[in-house]
Amino acid sequence: MPPRFARPDAASEEGGLWALMDREEARLRRSPLRMRDEALTRYLSDTACALAVEHCPDVRVYALRTPYFNANMAPNGMMQVWSGLLLRMENEAQMAAILAHEIGHFLQRHSLEKLRDVKARSAFATALSVFGVYGLVGQLLVLGSAFPFSRDQEREADAISLVLMRNVGFDTREAPKVWANLLAELAANPAASGDSLDNILFATHPSSEERRSTLQREAAGGSGLVGAEAWRQRLAPVRGMLLEDELKRGRLDESLALLDRLAAAEPDSADLLYFRGEARRQRAADGDLDLALKDLQAAARDPRAPAATWRAIGYLERQRQQPAAARAAWQRYLEIAPDAADAALVRQSMEELP
Amino acid sequence: MNIPRRALLLGALLLAAGCAQVSKVASGQVTVGGRMVVDADKDWNQFEQTLSDGTPTWTKEGIAVDELKFYVGLKDGALLAPTPSEPKGQPPLVFKSGMQAAEIVALFERRYSRGGSTFTLEKVVPVPFVGGGGYRFEFSSIRKVDDLRLRGVGWFAVRNGELWAITYTAPRLAFFPAGLAEAESVARSARIKS
Repeated sequence: MPPRFARPDAASEEGGLWALMDREEARLRRSPLRMRDEALTRYLSDTACALAVEHCPDVRVYALRTPYFNANMAPNGMMQVWSGLLLRMENEAQMAAILAHEIGHFLQRHSLEKLRDVKARSAFATALSVFGVYGLVGQLLVLGSAFPFSRDQEREADAISLVLMRNVGFDTREAPKVWANLLAELAANPAASGDSLDNILFATHPSSEERRSTLQREAAGGSGLVGAEAWRQRLAPVRGMLLEDELKRGRLDESLALLDRLAAAEPDSADLLYFRGEARRQRAADGDLDLALKDLQAAARDPRAPAATWRAIGYLERQRQQPAAARAAWQRYLEIAPDAADAALVRQSMEELP
Repeated sequence: MNIPRRALLLGALLLAAGCAQVSKVASGQVTVGGRMVVDADKDWNQFEQTLSDGTPTWTKEGIAVDELKFYVGLKDGALLAPTPSEPKGQPPLVFKSGMQAAEIVALFERRYSRGGSTFTLEKVVPVPFVGGGGYRFEFSSIRKVDDLRLRGVGWFAVRNGELWAITYTAPRLAFFPAGLAEAESVARSARIKS
């Protein structure tokens, strides 16, 4: 492992990039999208710290509420992890694999090389700054972390991530599963092409199939901490919000592949049954509505089901020309959530039932 | 769409807005999109050509700040605010004439959630709009590209299978409260050109 990096001279090119990143980090710290769940964010920071060993003081993790799969790290040690990625992790070992991978890029100073490249190509962005589009150049550089690394850089970061995971005692066999799960999700959306920069799932990580198989080979024979239940408990306080954000992406085929996977691990979760039922109700492809009703009714048998379960049942029953069942479901919804944002709309829908 | 491309698109949009011909909205009766008539005061600006999403848009402070958008008689199958380059696999926002009010609200929800912005529905109630029954919804949003907290309000109705809507969004602290009354006034005056 390389020694800790000294802060570069402010007058150097690298120093200038660090200063830009520092400014972006100040913005990130104030961002309303920054997730404030203290236990979860502390866990991410502590895990990154354990993985980074002596580089721990230089690594800072920010979880952002953005429903896409993305993590990146700036050369000054600022790491962003988006909520769409958190939602897709099945256990602590998979989360550690992501953090360790980003730390791998940091240790090899890949981000710096990439930012130099992005900066060189962003004459356009400089032109924008003339027009007073404040912060956009800096943002571009931060977001530039979403430009792909080279295959060699990805291989290097993957190899380092396995070493770091082993050092802390995580099961490295979970690392390739992250990519296998993503590939399965993309495969569920016929309109999305695989290794495409147009798909945010792969914005930072091209050649995922190759990486999955390489990781699988190199991680074989591993053992250690998986932490599936512990991870579920850590995510529990925010999971409902993240699932709502997930459905608002409108990529229901991918969301359903994700929900099928999550529900397979937790078949009795009222939350997951509701969101899967709601996703099917919204997609409304052949056979979806029957399956949606089945999920929603199963969720409704659990007193912990979200109130929106009853609203969704009402809409489905109206569609199925079952006014009495629709009325009963909506009444239940309004009993549980009388001040819901759409209460007036639901009341009007009830009045319009035959 | 990956994030740099989204940032570049926003930049291009801002540049285009900076370069596009902007004119004052004439006060009095104004026809928008050829088929919607509203009463306007003299403070709104409009773009001579529609922006990239094809939606007539008015603003007081600039489109990166406040936007009053007009969805004029969208027919069955028409796209709500299409973007020039939708990411692969992203289903377009298609209006269908049989949509219920909740589905139309969901359509706007997806429109404002694009690119990772948040959308929280605050309230939706039946109100009169374009000369008959319609709906008014309020929402809040955090715009991903610049972390700005926005508030928004929208009015919509379906007439003869066509969607008629107006939305107003602005930063929540100063601009939204300052512009809301005028946006409401424009929406209240909206009617379909006979």
